[in-house]
Amino acid sequence: MMNKKGFEIQFNWIFVLVAGTAIILFFTVVVIKQKNVSETSTKATILKSMEAVITGASVSTDTTNIIDIPNSDIEVDCGRVSIGGVSKQYQSLVLFAPSLIKGNKLITQTLAFSTPYRATNLLYITSPQMRYIIIGDSKLAKEINKSMPSELKKEFYQSMPEIKNMNNYKIRFVLFENLIDFPKALEKMPDSDVTAIKINGDSEKGIIEFWQKESNSWLSKGTSFYIGKQSLIGAIYADTLDVYECNMRNVFSRLNLVTKIYAERTKKLTQGATSGRQFQCNQFYSNALSQLNSIFAASSNFNKGNIDVIADSAKSLSSENKNAQIYSCTLIY
Amino acid sequence: MHPDLLIHTKMKKAQIQIGETIAVLFVFFILIIIGFMFYVKIIKSNIELETEELSQLRSVGISQKIMFLPEVQCSEDNIIIDNCIDILKLDSAQSIMKKNEIYYYDLLEFSDVSISQIYPNEAKWNLYSRKIEDFNSKFVTNVPISLYDPATRKHGFGVLTIETLFK
Repeated sequence: MMNKKGFEIQFNWIFVLVAGTAIILFFTVVVIKQKNVSETSTKATILKSMEAVITGASVSTDTTNIIDIPNSDIEVDCGRVSIGGVSKQYQSLVLFAPSLIKGNKLITQTLAFSTPYRATNLLYITSPQMRYIIIGDSKLAKEINKSMPSELKKEFYQSMPEIKNMNNYKIRFVLFENLIDFPKALEKMPDSDVTAIKINGDSEKGIIEFWQKESNSWLSKGTSFYIGKQSLIGAIYADTLDVYECNMRNVFSRLNLVTKIYAERTKKLTQGATSGRQFQCNQFYSNALSQLNSIFAASSNFNKGNIDVIADSAKSLSSENKNAQIYSCTLIY
Repeated sequence: MHPDLLIHTKMKKAQIQIGETIAVLFVFFILIIIGFMFYVKIIKSNIELETEELSQLRSVGISQKIMFLPEVQCSEDNIIIDNCIDILKLDSAQSIMKKNEIYYYDLLEFSDVSISQIYPNEAKWNLYSRKIEDFNSKFVTNVPISLYDPATRKHGFGVLTIETLFK
């Protein structure tokens, strides 16, 4: 009798144990699933705000914004923005940003890329936690320092200062003179987190050398080119040569399309200017058309030779537009 | 009472108790499932609302992008004129955007963009068209615009129609 009762009590306990485990298991699964859903939803929300930023950038120029986001790590690559496992692919995105944006704030800046007519807007995104050190005494160095938002963690020095480690997750040196000796205080930082660019040129065009930390010295990562201050600023925000060149290729392909439209428009203006007072304008339009055609041909590829052609043609085109304005002709752009 | 009968009665009682517990558990799980279904339904309707809101936002975004396209926008010495479309640019933009439809898909997604001139003459330009058959939502945005003809230096009046489709 006692044995049977003992068996009954034991069976009850086993039954309670199984039922309890089933209930706990059920709620654990629900909680884990809900946590995953919530995390994905947060990531998607950040990605949505990134999309809104990208849309906003294409419709406004010369603006700077600070956007609050949930604390996250945003990875930016050529035509791809990703947060954790959630990512969005773009075919022709022009977004100059460090490969990793950390923190709960985004600093965005937009500038128009004009050669001399606006071809597209350049969007720059970075984190207030990233440190920018600008070293140079030239007019261009001062202009670049002024063009970058004051909300950035930026420091401007006319000569090499003593650099201290302030625990920033990334440091970008912008050098307008000679390459500096690698700062001892930054030797312990991961190699990919300390980068530098050395600029050799003026506000129109020039050469950019990309450098990266390698233990306690600098390692050259290659050379590229810039056209206009806007693309130079792009090279400051993008921390790798690949991302910079990818964005510049996208800028050039857009420039190619827009130039084609301006060339066709100018051709039509030439056809319409064959009679009366407007006849004088014909000459300006013909000159402008040849400049537009050379920009169109040069914008097919991003390289030094084409940059020189575009910079020269842009200058000539600008003076033709001024002439058209003086003679009260319809403007070219 | 006979010992066999006592054992039989106790066994029956235990079986009833187990049955009761199983029934309670069954009801408990049924209640949880009902609660869960209710929760899922609320979440689903919230997601649908959010999707609708997002589609509307994207539609507004696409409309804004078109208004600010350097391919069609009016400018005077590189100064942008708001809500103004250059007719001379439109003619060439029409063919260029059609030829580079995949490039512009990144900006304009699945949409149909057309411009109708109402005054002084009636004219129509189809700028971009990339549609899907199995769309879930469709938004039509009409924006009144000024149509500038640089050849005659005269402004006309028109409507920019943007039809956006979302899956």
